[in-house]
Amino acid sequence: MVQVTIDPLSRIEGHYRVNTEVSGEGVITDAQSNALVFRGFERFLQKQDPRDAALLTQRICGVCPVCHSISAANALDELFGVAGEIPKDALVVRNIHQGLNYIASHAAHIYVLWGPDLANPAYHDILMQQGDLGNAVWGELSGRFMPVVNQFDGIRLPPGSSYLGAVMELRRLHDAISLIGGKMPHAVLQHVGGVVYSPTVADIQQLASYVSKTVNFVEAFTLGVSPDTWIENTYRASSPQKAVDFVIGHLQDLLDKSLTNNDFSHSSGWGDVSLFAAFGSELIGEKLLGLPVSMKMDRAGVYPDPAKIGFLSYGVFFKPEKGDGYDPASPADGRVIPSGYMNGSLKLEKFDHQKISESINHSFYIDEKKDRPPWNGVTVPEENPEEIDYTRGSESRYSWAKAPNYNGIPCEVGPLARLMIMGEPLTTGLVKAFQDNGYSPVNNYTRMIARMQEVLVVIPELRKWILQDLEAGAKVAVHTDLSMAKDSEGMGLWEAPRGALGHWVATGSDSMVTLYQAVVPSTWNLAPRNSKGIAGPVEQALIGTKISAAENALGVDYSNPLGILHTVRSYDPCLACAVHTLDRTGKHPAYAIKVV
Amino acid sequence: MDRRTFIKAVGVLGASLFLQAYKSDLVKALELSETKVLWLHGVECTGCTVSMLDGGSPDIVELLRVLNLKLLFQDVLMMQQGIFVDGKPANTSELNSDILLEEILDNEKGYVLISEGGVPNGPAGSGRYMVIGGKTYKETYEKAAKNASVIIAIGQCATHSGVNAAESEIKELLDHRGIAFTMEDSSKGIVNLLGINTPVININGCPAHPDWVFLTISAVVLGKIKVPDDLPYLLDEWKRPKIFFPPDHVIHDNCPRRGYYDHGELDLTVGGGKCLWKLGCKGPYSHADCATRHWNAHLSFCPQAGSPCIGCVEPGFPDSTRPFFVEIEDSGLVGTHLHTVAGVAIGGALLAAGAHAVRRTVLKKPEEKEGYAEESVSEKAEGEK
Repeated sequence: MVQVTIDPLSRIEGHYRVNTEVSGEGVITDAQSNALVFRGFERFLQKQDPRDAALLTQRICGVCPVCHSISAANALDELFGVAGEIPKDALVVRNIHQGLNYIASHAAHIYVLWGPDLANPAYHDILMQQGDLGNAVWGELSGRFMPVVNQFDGIRLPPGSSYLGAVMELRRLHDAISLIGGKMPHAVLQHVGGVVYSPTVADIQQLASYVSKTVNFVEAFTLGVSPDTWIENTYRASSPQKAVDFVIGHLQDLLDKSLTNNDFSHSSGWGDVSLFAAFGSELIGEKLLGLPVSMKMDRAGVYPDPAKIGFLSYGVFFKPEKGDGYDPASPADGRVIPSGYMNGSLKLEKFDHQKISESINHSFYIDEKKDRPPWNGVTVPEENPEEIDYTRGSESRYSWAKAPNYNGIPCEVGPLARLMIMGEPLTTGLVKAFQDNGYSPVNNYTRMIARMQEVLVVIPELRKWILQDLEAGAKVAVHTDLSMAKDSEGMGLWEAPRGALGHWVATGSDSMVTLYQAVVPSTWNLAPRNSKGIAGPVEQALIGTKISAAENALGVDYSNPLGILHTVRSYDPCLACAVHTLDRTGKHPAYAIKVV
Repeated sequence: MDRRTFIKAVGVLGASLFLQAYKSDLVKALELSETKVLWLHGVECTGCTVSMLDGGSPDIVELLRVLNLKLLFQDVLMMQQGIFVDGKPANTSELNSDILLEEILDNEKGYVLISEGGVPNGPAGSGRYMVIGGKTYKETYEKAAKNASVIIAIGQCATHSGVNAAESEIKELLDHRGIAFTMEDSSKGIVNLLGINTPVININGCPAHPDWVFLTISAVVLGKIKVPDDLPYLLDEWKRPKIFFPPDHVIHDNCPRRGYYDHGELDLTVGGGKCLWKLGCKGPYSHADCATRHWNAHLSFCPQAGSPCIGCVEPGFPDSTRPFFVEIEDSGLVGTHLHTVAGVAIGGALLAAGAHAVRRTVLKKPEEKEGYAEESVSEKAEGEK
């Protein structure tokens, strides 16, 4: 048994370590997911004016600040008793704000954080065994995805073309947010009762122009075909099978042209998604398309036991058709991407927020109770430096993240969970194709394809919100007064780009905050073991994964553990979000708030 | 071009204009030897890295190229990560970030250190609330800071500990430190605690504006700001470049909503288009060029978009400026956290118009200022009160 540890995992938000036990055959047999930093965030909202939460909580994360500000604003709407009256146009502005950030955040993840692993030297070695084809594909991977800081055989290579293009789009989308939100990161748009800015006719045109330029990038770099064609044949396909057939057919057409001349460049139609879709998967690349080689990402990052995992979505993006106001409990038909829970066998159930709890048995916190609902969270951080030790194994306390559960089961959250729950045709079809062919439906490949596909789900909705639903100069806020928050409570359910995000707030008779709690996506995904000893989603997904590139294609290389890197990064970890605390002293257990 | 003209130009021109105008200086820069840059992340939200990626003119890649900078280490933008096999560092610095960082800390000297985020000192001075690659960040930071020629602290977590040091029951336990200050206290800056003498330049803000950072780096690399000789007169008492954080100028002075303030037309609910004073705007107390420079492609800034300024560039942020949506004269803040800036800010407000708004605050001899305050006080604003 060999111990392979990644410490720190770079190219994520925050600071993270993961430790694995690996067999002589190069298969991971155990894993511990360690959140490394204790920042102590929501604690400083206690006893403060609750209205500040929408601006302060977004400072949890600079990559996804928007979702925190909206979750907080949603929680405050209920706290102030105005959720039912929020003007429709304020809800549309929230959608636009979040939609722009979804694309920006996914682009940042796909290209800047996750993509560089496709230019890992192990793929160079694997592809070099494949003659001209391998040479050409390696040229594309390294030419598209190389990060700014790199060293390859002693030479610093230029940053990749897709990588740099994505940074430009990230910037463009943040410019769009700044236009209506003052600045980005940490835009100031969200507020209890609505939003602070009502876009003008000129703003609407400018927003549409930003989006259309980003769509150009998606066409030229990401897809290689018109996004409208892609959307029509996948997101709007009449059946999951038709969506999958379209993508396979598209890849087959590209291959028929390129196998003769080994041209896999952007200009020959090989968008980044197509390149990954073909060469990332053993089933699609090797078995269906007949490629001689693939990265076999569909074999890695799978859950060995469906009884120990679930998939969760709180629902995101308000439906403008419903007019003013919304239901804070996010019922199944309430949002564009719906709420829902899917068990490990992919059976869909109705979402019930009362089934959420958090365990701290394996976290550096002290509490006599090991499971609590978030609206009654108590968090006492370990104060003894000697006790903060990440190396004592799976039975010990080893993370600053708590372990959230839905009905006692750890859950994966994020684009794959959302789109499966939504029944998005391409995602649903792909998942079924893997299942039918003896693969796990959920793996590193489907997790990444779902994130790419979600960009294409959001684009048409975003265009609709901007060009059809948003009325220029409309009323975007209802008046609120601090006294309206007296002895109250609120819940803000939303979906961050990386998954389910909930904020819970309660106030006392002076309207000041008595409890503030956020349960965030990376806490779900990167959780340590729960109170029953069930491993967190990333830990489960690592167990059984091969340590080195493409299922140890070149043998076992413990010193370049791509199996770990791909798997953990496929969840888009955000550690600043994952680690939080609320109430150190535990003095206020009476603030158990009943959430409607 | 002499240094003073250059510094002025940096402040007046946007970054891209600045680069165009001083191309010849920049060409010379290419002939200069490479400048190495080490970029470390402490306790933070990575928002400052994102803000730097949002810088468009120049963008970050262009900046590295034209100034001949070599970014040695940046854990969001690099191929490497820490890899241990059976507890021992594995592979080489081409894939292993721990080996890369160790090589840098052992061999490099005189680099520019960009510090994003604060440095945890807790619990009990151990620094163990942040352990990376088996070492406390405090230990790594000490080595990195000692061998740097200059530290550029970017963003409020680094400059003053920001939200990490906000008032709470666990603040003392956490003990997250800024680089040269923790909140307003320089004795609590991590460099003072560790006895490090490397000069520090603070680029405040939550996040920091990419222009502020890039233009400061440009000026340092081109030798237009001589470190440390020029720092005493270029930086204010909080080590912020005065050109971006003018001591005699507040955001309120150039706010596009200023006309409404002068007419006494004040919004009471968000979502309107008038002055945000009654909604708690801290623009009159915040020293930064946001209102003239604007953010993200110079499009907008907080009060323009309808939100009160929350003073995110001020040393005591967020405690000195929250509650964000309460008028500052009602919040009891003046005379406490904001004492160091209030005199200037209020003087400035008086000069232009607003005696009504500040008349209940503690003024430090505003009558000594030259001006026409009394004549231009708005009747409507008085009525509003």
